[in-house]
Amino acid sequence: MRQSVRAKRSKGKNGFSPAVLPLILWTAVFVAIPLIYILGLSFLKRASTWGVELSFTLESYQQILDPQYLKVYGESLKMAFLTTLGTLALGYPFAYFTAKLKPKNRSVVLLMVMVPFWTNSLVRIYGWMILLRTQGVVNGLLIALGIIDTPLKLLYNFGAVLVGMIYALLPFMILAVYNSVEKLDWSLVEASRDLGASRWKAFWTVTVPMTLPGIMAGCVLVFVPSIGLFFISDLLGGGKTILLGNLIRNELLTARNWPMGAALSMVMMVMSLLILWLYRRVTGAKDMEGLV
Amino acid sequence: MKLLKKAVALLAAASMLALTFAGCSGGGTSGEGDQVLNIFTWADYFPDDILEEFTEQTGIKVNYSTFESNEEMLMKLESTEGGDYDIVLASDYIIDIARKENLIDKLDTSKIPNFGNINPAFQSKFYDETNEYTVPYAAGIPLIIYNPDMVDIEINGFEDLWNPALADSIVLMDDARNVIGLTLKSMGESMNTTDEAILEQAKEKLFALKPNIRALDYSTPYNKILDGEVSVGYMFTSQVITALNENPNLQVVYPEEGLGFGIDSCFVPVNAPHKDNAHTFLNFILDGERSARISEQTMYINCNSAATPYITNQALVIPDEAIESAEFIQDVGDATQLYTDIWTEFKNL
Amino acid sequence: MRKNRTILPEMYLVLLLILLYLPIIVVVVYSFNDSKLFQWSGFTLDWYRELLDNKNIQQAFWNSIELAVISSVMAATLGTVGAVAMAGRHFKAKGLIENVATIPIMIPEIILGMAYLAFFTLLKIPFGMITLVLAHTTFCVPYIYINVKARLAGLDPSIGEAALDLGASRRRMFFDITLPMIAPAIASGTMLAFAMSMDDVVISFFATGAETNTLPLQIYSMLKMGVTPEINAICTLMLGAVFLIVALSRLVRLRRRTG
Repeated sequence: MRQSVRAKRSKGKNGFSPAVLPLILWTAVFVAIPLIYILGLSFLKRASTWGVELSFTLESYQQILDPQYLKVYGESLKMAFLTTLGTLALGYPFAYFTAKLKPKNRSVVLLMVMVPFWTNSLVRIYGWMILLRTQGVVNGLLIALGIIDTPLKLLYNFGAVLVGMIYALLPFMILAVYNSVEKLDWSLVEASRDLGASRWKAFWTVTVPMTLPGIMAGCVLVFVPSIGLFFISDLLGGGKTILLGNLIRNELLTARNWPMGAALSMVMMVMSLLILWLYRRVTGAKDMEGLV
Repeated sequence: MKLLKKAVALLAAASMLALTFAGCSGGGTSGEGDQVLNIFTWADYFPDDILEEFTEQTGIKVNYSTFESNEEMLMKLESTEGGDYDIVLASDYIIDIARKENLIDKLDTSKIPNFGNINPAFQSKFYDETNEYTVPYAAGIPLIIYNPDMVDIEINGFEDLWNPALADSIVLMDDARNVIGLTLKSMGESMNTTDEAILEQAKEKLFALKPNIRALDYSTPYNKILDGEVSVGYMFTSQVITALNENPNLQVVYPEEGLGFGIDSCFVPVNAPHKDNAHTFLNFILDGERSARISEQTMYINCNSAATPYITNQALVIPDEAIESAEFIQDVGDATQLYTDIWTEFKNL
Repeated sequence: MRKNRTILPEMYLVLLLILLYLPIIVVVVYSFNDSKLFQWSGFTLDWYRELLDNKNIQQAFWNSIELAVISSVMAATLGTVGAVAMAGRHFKAKGLIENVATIPIMIPEIILGMAYLAFFTLLKIPFGMITLVLAHTTFCVPYIYINVKARLAGLDPSIGEAALDLGASRRRMFFDITLPMIAPAIASGTMLAFAMSMDDVVISFFATGAETNTLPLQIYSMLKMGVTPEINAICTLMLGAVFLIVALSRLVRLRRRTG
C-alpha cells in the first residue's frame, strides 16, 4: 500500500538514487572486497615462510574436515546453543515481567539493563573471575551457608565460559524479547482465558507464538556472536577451552597459516548466514529491523 | 543530483576530519619527525621508570605496543614487512626465524658505545652467531614451583607432573614449544627433536597430562598459584621469583631431567621507521647501572657484565650443573607444523 | 482483568538485576582494595592516584574517545544518507546492498578483524588510527542504517508529500522535514555505535598498529598480564560517568515534561 502511494508521489523518480552511492562505495570497499579477499585467500597455498603462494588449492578445505577441527565446531555449536538456551530461559521471563510493569518502572528497568553495555565488557568478565575463583565470593558464600566444605573449582572450565557467555549476551535477548512482548495485544490473551484456557495454556498457545519474532531475533543476536567471542573462553576457560573463534585466532597468530584461518572464517560465516537465513525463513522478516 | 553532491561533500568532510585527527595523534607517520620510538614486546617487560627516563633525557616519545606470544609478534612483523616497529624484544628461537626471513636489520655497533658491556656468555648463540643482529636483554630458565601445603607428593622433575595426585591442579605456560619440550625432556629426548616417531610418542604422553592441567597461562601463572587456584606451576624464571616474593613457602624444583634455557633479545626490524632512535635506546639500556635496575624489576638473569657491581638483590641463584645441562629451544624448521598440530589437538582434548 | 497479584515477578526482576550488576559491583569494590591480590586488605585510593600517573591508560582512553567519536559521526553520515536515499525506492541491487552493508554486525567480529588485517596489509595502509577509523566506521554503519530505516518506515509519507506539493525542493524537504523527524533515530543509532566502538576488542585487535592503543586493548593486555586494580579504577570512573549522564538526561526530560 505504502509503496503505491510513494510511487505516485515521487513522480517516476522511483528507481536508483545517486545519494546511495557513498554507502555503496563504502560497503563495497570495506565490506565486500575484504570478505571476497578472505574467500580468495582460503583457496591459496600456504607459503613455506609466511603468507601465501599464488596457486589454487583445496588443501585448507580438506584440512578443516579433520576430526580435531570437527570437534571444535561441535564444541562451539554446543556452547552457542547452550548460551542461547540460557539467555532465553533467563531473559524471556525478565522481558515479560518488565513489559507488565507500570510504564515508569519499565523504563527504569530497561535502563538498568542497558547501562552495563556502556562499561567495558572485558572488565565485567573480570568481575566474574573474582567471583568464581577458588577463594572467591561464590565459594565463600557456599561455605558460609554450609552447603560445601571445601571450595569448588569453578573457574577454568566449560561451565565458567558458559556463565560468561550468557552474562555477556543476556541484554541482547532481553531487549529483543521485550520489543515483542511490548507490542503484544493482551486482549487476545484475555480472550483465550475467557474461553477457559488455563493461565499456563494461554501463555503457551497465545503469548509465546505471538512473541516468537522477538524470541527468534534474540536467539540470532545471541547465537551468532557467541561462536566468535574468543576472549571470554580465553579469560574464563584458562586457555583450555577452544572455540571456533580461538581456533581462527590461533591459526593466524600462532600457526601463521592464513589460508587455514581464512577457510575457518568462511565456515564460521556460512554458519552465521545460515542462522540468519533460517531466521528470515521462519519469521518471514525481510530484513533485520527488529534486531537493533 | 544535489543530494548526491551534498552527501559526497559531507562524506569527504567527515573523512578529512577523521584523517586530520588521525594524523595528529598518529605521531611518527606524519610530520613529527624522529622524536618517536615504537617498542614491541610483552606487556610490562621494559620497566616504566626506564622508559620515562629515556624520554626525559632524549626527548624521544615511546610508543609501547604489546604482544602475547612470540608467534603473534612474528605474524605482525611479517604483515608489516619489518616496518612499523623500531625495537622488538622477543625470544631466541623466534628471532632465529625472523632473521632467516630477513626481517631483522644489522646493528650499527658504532652507534652503541655500550655494546661491549654485554656478557659474552650470552652472545654468539644459534640465533645470532656473529653478534650482528641482537642485544640480549634477559635470560631465563623455566622451573617447576609448587605449594607444599596443597601437594602431598614429592616433586623432583617433569615426570612427577603426570602423577594422578595432581589432578586438575597444574598451570603451564600457554606455549607449544615449552610444553611439548618438557614432555620430550621427561622422555629423555631433546626439546628440539624433529623425529616424527618421537613426536608421536610425545603427543600420546602429553595427552595423558591433560587431566592434571587446570589452566594454560603465558603471562600470569604466578597469580594462579598465589591465589590457590593451582598447586603446581611450570613457569619462567621471573614469574617464579614473583611468586616466591609473595609467598616464600613455595618450593622451587630444578627438574632432574634437565632444564630449558632461553634468552630474550632486542633487535631492530629491517624497515624500522626510526632506526637512529632504536640505537640510542639500545645504548641507553646497556648502561650498567640502568641494566641492573631493569634486572631487579623484571627479575630475570642479567646479561650485562657492566651491571654486576650494581646488582644487590641476588634473589635466585641457579646451580651451575643445572645450567650446564640446559637446552635452548631452537627453530625446528618444517617440524614446526608438527608441534603446532600437537598443540592444537592437545588443547582440543 | 484478573488480578492475582504476587510479588514473584518483581522479585525475579530484582534478582536478575542483582546478578547483572554483581560482577560490576565486585570490580568497583576491588578498585578500593589495598592489596594487588584478590584478598581484601583495606580501603585505599592509591589506584586512582596511580591512574592519574599512568600515561598509557590515559592515552588509550583518549584514543578510544577520538576513535569512537570520528567513527560514529562518519557512520551516522553514511548510514543516514544511505537509508534516506534508499527509502521507498526499488531497484535491483537494493536488497543486496542492504544485506552487505549490514553484514558487519551479522557475522562474528573475528571474521571482519582478520579480513582487515589481510586487506590493509595488501593495500599497504599503515596500521594505526586511520585503519581503526575505517574498520570501526564500517561496523558502526549498520546500527545507524537499521535504526533510521525503521524510523523512516514508520513515518507518515503524506507530510513529505505535502511539502513537495507546496513546491519545496527535495533538498529542503530533507533538511526541513525528514531530518528533524528521523533525528531521534540517528541519535540513538549513533549512541549505540559509539558504545560499540568504545568497547570493541576483537576488530581493533587486528586493525591497530604500533602507535595507537585503544582502551579495550589496553585493558585486555593488562588483564592478561595480571591483576591490575587501575583497570578497576578506570572502569569505576566510566561507570560513574555513565550513571551521571543517564541521571542528568532523565532529569532534563522530567523537567521538560513538567515545565
